[in-house]
Amino acid sequence: MTCLLCDKPLHDQPTWQHFLGMQQDTFACLTCLEKFERIDQVIQNDVLDSVHSLYAYNEAARAYLHQFKFMQDVALAQIFAPALRRVLNDAKKIVVPIPMHPVNKKKRTFSQVDALLEAAKIPYQSLLEKTTESVMGEKSRSERLAMTELFHVPADIPYNEAVYVLVDDIYTTGTTLHHAAEALKQRGVHRVEAVTLFRPIREK
Amino acid sequence: MSERNQLKQFLAGRIWLRHLLPFSEEAVDEAMRQGDIHIEPGVTTKKTWHGKHYACQRCHNENQARFTVFTCAQCEAPCAYCRNCLNMGRVSCCSELLTWTGTPPTFPTSHRMNWQGNLTPSQQKATSELLESTKQGVSHLLYAVCGSGKTEMLFQPIHYVLQEGKRVCLAAPRVDVILELLPRLTTAFPDTKVEALYGGAEVEHFDAQLILATTHQLYRFHEAFDAVFVDEADAFPYTADETLQQAVRKAAKPNAPIHFVTATPSRQLLAMNKKQGHISVLARRYHGQPLPVPRSVALWNYEKQLKKKRIPAKLLRWTAERLEKQQPFLIFFHQIELMEIAEPLFQKLDERICAVHAEHEDRKERVQLLRQKAVPGLLTTTILERGITIPNVQVAVVGAEQTIFNKGALIQIGGRVGRSVPNTSGDFVLFHQGITYAMDEAKREIRKLNHTEVPQ
Repeated sequence: MTCLLCDKPLHDQPTWQHFLGMQQDTFACLTCLEKFERIDQVIQNDVLDSVHSLYAYNEAARAYLHQFKFMQDVALAQIFAPALRRVLNDAKKIVVPIPMHPVNKKKRTFSQVDALLEAAKIPYQSLLEKTTESVMGEKSRSERLAMTELFHVPADIPYNEAVYVLVDDIYTTGTTLHHAAEALKQRGVHRVEAVTLFRPIREK
Repeated sequence: MSERNQLKQFLAGRIWLRHLLPFSEEAVDEAMRQGDIHIEPGVTTKKTWHGKHYACQRCHNENQARFTVFTCAQCEAPCAYCRNCLNMGRVSCCSELLTWTGTPPTFPTSHRMNWQGNLTPSQQKATSELLESTKQGVSHLLYAVCGSGKTEMLFQPIHYVLQEGKRVCLAAPRVDVILELLPRLTTAFPDTKVEALYGGAEVEHFDAQLILATTHQLYRFHEAFDAVFVDEADAFPYTADETLQQAVRKAAKPNAPIHFVTATPSRQLLAMNKKQGHISVLARRYHGQPLPVPRSVALWNYEKQLKKKRIPAKLLRWTAERLEKQQPFLIFFHQIELMEIAEPLFQKLDERICAVHAEHEDRKERVQLLRQKAVPGLLTTTILERGITIPNVQVAVVGAEQTIFNKGALIQIGGRVGRSVPNTSGDFVLFHQGITYAMDEAKREIRKLNHTEVPQ
């Protein structure tokens, strides 16, 4: 095995725990993993009952997302699988990924949030549908805030009492998550939480 | 030039992902209708008894660990992509690779060679032999010691191929080497279209006849060149990576010669060319002085001592002597971590001493500072083992017994010493804890080369 990020060989010894399936596979070396800064920041606002961001959006995170999303390196979804699994392992919560527009998904050949969840082996329900082809990363802050209705919910939601967890790769201005939560709440969902992999933090 | 012509000039000899071609869809479709372009899937699948076997059609990687299978939204099926050549645009089962099969483009046959330097008799002999092999279309090995003026010896054979109206590639495993060669070749062939290709370089001329490329870039070529010269053919990662060697082979036309130029040929390379007799040995540097023979000095427990924030006594004495005599020096370490422990200790001797390794973006500037004597010396990893010339530099290797310092690396490191007139010799010391076969072999090889008779 080599590290997915730096291609250096991983020095993993075969162990009984691994053979019996009690130990997870490793996909990246410690040096690469240390470059990601764990923050576990939780915030709240009126629509979203909690937003949990796992890592700071630093240089390593930028490079990671570039290789994962734009170079289309699906294999990189494995790197954060253990971290996501630990946060999302509550069976009572229903995990809902932020979707991509079908046209964009076809262009990229995969949806990054679905890939992250599949790598982490977390069951999810694709309840949302993206209505526009436009991408958040290409917009200014004011343009983002002025947008209307990004998502709609095509099917009925059976369990309004359950907690729904939205998952996205990055939380920037919060517009995407805000719209998604709004769409769910309009259908009568009581509590919507969110988990994002990265979030930009101000340098001290 | 019409877009069709540009497409031809660009795609001829290349193998390119359809969606990354810098041409309009219409031009590509038109050429396809005329049967000038061949399409093949990016990754082919073969069924075997133990599952599927993938092969990348661009870089010819067949190492199954370097493929990842995912559910593709484009072909709506499990789709494999190659991680070996990922940074040139992802190649997967459903992506299309294009090659040009129409009439090949023509290149000019008159080229000016603007180079007045003189070759020594032994250099001239090697050049003529290389030229002769090029004319016959057989591969040749130019085995020339460090600092013997290898690049100049390539000019005549390259000029010959250009005059024939053919395409030439000069490849090297490292970007630094390519960047150093580029100005020398553009001045030597002022009228020829020359292009340098390396990670991050823009594609400028669509019809360059002389291409300088890192061996990685040759993944993107397909039966393009009538002659390929591989410089520093023993450098990392070329020898370690089978797909790079295949890349060189597939970038050359089926019967085109592939010449290797190196100071430390591998046994395999020597055997391959010895059998056919197409080998030139150049045992003397251009100034005619012998290569510095390394001396071995035992330095026990250097790792432990450095970790205790103490420079081992012998190393300290050596460094102090260099500082006192104001000789620039390089100290090689086998590991970045150890070098970074040592850096502050050396800075206590002289605060200008600094460390260089592959991740430093300003390593070029630091080497330049050493040349200008603004810095008394550098600590380095094997990154500086080749391609640099610093007048009167003295070299020490700390931990010469480490496996990273194989025979080739030690000879290359020694090749930094005494390259220029008037400082044609210098100190080359191996600090070790136990002599390895590699150290012995390097020493024996240097002695052997020094005793070889050379034509005067």
